[in-house]
Amino acid sequence: MITIPYLTALTTYFSYGLLFAFGQFRDFFRKIFDWWQASNLQGYAPICLGLEDFYIRRLYLRIQDCFGRPIASAPDAWFDVVERYSNDYNKTLKRTEKKSRCLNLGSYNYLGFAAADEYCTPRVIDSLNRFSASTCSTRVDGGTTTLHKELEECVANFVGKPSAVVFGMGYVTNSAILPVVIGKGGLIISDSLNHNSIVNGARGSGATIRVFQHNTPSHLEKVLREQIAEGQPRTHRPWKKIIVVVEGIYSMEGELCKLPEIVAICKKYKAYVYLDEAHSIGAVGKTGRGVCELLGVDTADVDIMMGTFTKSFGSCGGYIAGSNELIQYLKYTCPAHLYATSISPPAAQQIISSIKVILGEDGSSRGAQKLARIRENSNFLRSELQKMGFEVLGDNDSPVMPIMLYNPAKIPAFSRECLKQNVAVVTVAFPATPLLLARARICISASHTKEDLLKALEVISQVGDLVGIKYFPAEPKKQLQPGKETIKLE
Amino acid sequence: MYVRAEPTTDLNKNTEWFTYPGVWSTYILIVFFSWLIVLSLLGTSPGTAWTIVHLSHFFVTYHFFHWKKGTPFADDQGIYNGLTWWEQIDNGNQLTRNRKFLTVVPLVLYLIALHTTDYQLPVLFLNTVAVLVLVIAKFPNMHKVRIFGINADH
Repeated sequence: MITIPYLTALTTYFSYGLLFAFGQFRDFFRKIFDWWQASNLQGYAPICLGLEDFYIRRLYLRIQDCFGRPIASAPDAWFDVVERYSNDYNKTLKRTEKKSRCLNLGSYNYLGFAAADEYCTPRVIDSLNRFSASTCSTRVDGGTTTLHKELEECVANFVGKPSAVVFGMGYVTNSAILPVVIGKGGLIISDSLNHNSIVNGARGSGATIRVFQHNTPSHLEKVLREQIAEGQPRTHRPWKKIIVVVEGIYSMEGELCKLPEIVAICKKYKAYVYLDEAHSIGAVGKTGRGVCELLGVDTADVDIMMGTFTKSFGSCGGYIAGSNELIQYLKYTCPAHLYATSISPPAAQQIISSIKVILGEDGSSRGAQKLARIRENSNFLRSELQKMGFEVLGDNDSPVMPIMLYNPAKIPAFSRECLKQNVAVVTVAFPATPLLLARARICISASHTKEDLLKALEVISQVGDLVGIKYFPAEPKKQLQPGKETIKLE
Repeated sequence: MYVRAEPTTDLNKNTEWFTYPGVWSTYILIVFFSWLIVLSLLGTSPGTAWTIVHLSHFFVTYHFFHWKKGTPFADDQGIYNGLTWWEQIDNGNQLTRNRKFLTVVPLVLYLIALHTTDYQLPVLFLNTVAVLVLVIAKFPNMHKVRIFGINADH
């Protein structure tokens, strides 16, 4: 739950109002200016309708240098960030040849597989030599190699479901599966903070969409009861299918889903559960199998389990795991399987190898060490930041750590000041988060050492004092015991 | 000192900021401070300052609440392109708390403007026209109504 100081809320609204007013003035004068000058596009319709690009032009471009920074090395714990400069107040940014070595607090590198790994990389290079970089085909034409078959078995085993299907891109997995499993006459009930891929997939399916309050099982039950009683809009016939879509760890809050309660409610009202484990698979749970293992939910109770390989496995792509019949059906109907290029073979090999490391099947205990390290790192950093007075969201054990910033001016201030001290953070603002709740999101990795975390704490504390985001009173440092403070008078 | 910011169920990013705590106070404080600024910069009587604030409030809120349609970003794929901001808030539900508050504010401003100008005739007329237009635009029966096709979609 986010607790915001009242004065900060007022000043944040006022700042956005001021930015909005300035943007409108500049647009107004730009319109007069352009009407004065003739344009060579007479008769063509404008590309953007009305105010559609207002936010991009007048708010986002002002602080564009904080987003989309190009990097010049693998996204390990330390990486090279390319320096950029701008001659026209951030409207266009030009790259320089200079790079700065920064601490990486932004990549989704939960288990440290993003850089070269002693077990995975030789095997990936091997598969690159054997299968080449792309299958150059869809799965149904010529793009199913032995690696793909092995990968699907491996993923199904790892997740705890009878079978799985793998796609080349994580976003597409959600937006191409939802239209296939539900259509017009069905009902999708999704958490209010679900990812854009789920929202797009739900809109594309044609089903009716209802939203329940984030992570509130009682509100989910209320919405379910209301919708089942009312039936389809206008005809009031019973719904053909009801799917409840939730995420394992919410990427902007770092919170875990209240899965046991939600699964119990869905069983009671006979709705299907679709769990998106993009951030939690491989990162939480005793053996890394995600929120089901962490919260003690039987995987047979979750009907469709979806996840991505970008976060914990250091690769790309997404998977859907479910019953044999479901996966067979998806292989016949899903456009991402029938028409999209299959996942690249080296990427598939990386996933297989990293799953082997996590499970300890490579003969070492590195997997268990990584899981323990990421848990320790996240708990350490979160408790230290909270002691300093920052408002940090997220549950314990969650590697995603948003630090609240709120005011729009603090977003570029925090980002740029941290970069000056060689710490790279990702800041997120409207419209990815609600207007009031801008934040800097830190992603902890198992490859961060204790020194890295201490450096991060020092830099964030300094920058936090400078920018003014320690909204809670700091806990006092431990007092020295009396008797040890004697001053020797020599 | 601290308030809780609960996430809402409103999917429209253009209007969901209005459901968080602190918006009403910010609105009232902006109106009050703009009266102080008008009073100090133009040096008129308090009544004229309130009339100026009331009329500029009318122009600004009419333009942004009831004239401009759509949202200032493109990633909702234009599903609200035919609706003004007033028609978008609270998912189109009428007579919610936010809507009642936003209807009361121009009325209160109107009463203050009239009282401080002693109900003199020329400004009385202007203020009354402003408040009538604003309040009629906020009626539930005016949802998605475009009089004489003004501001309708293409």
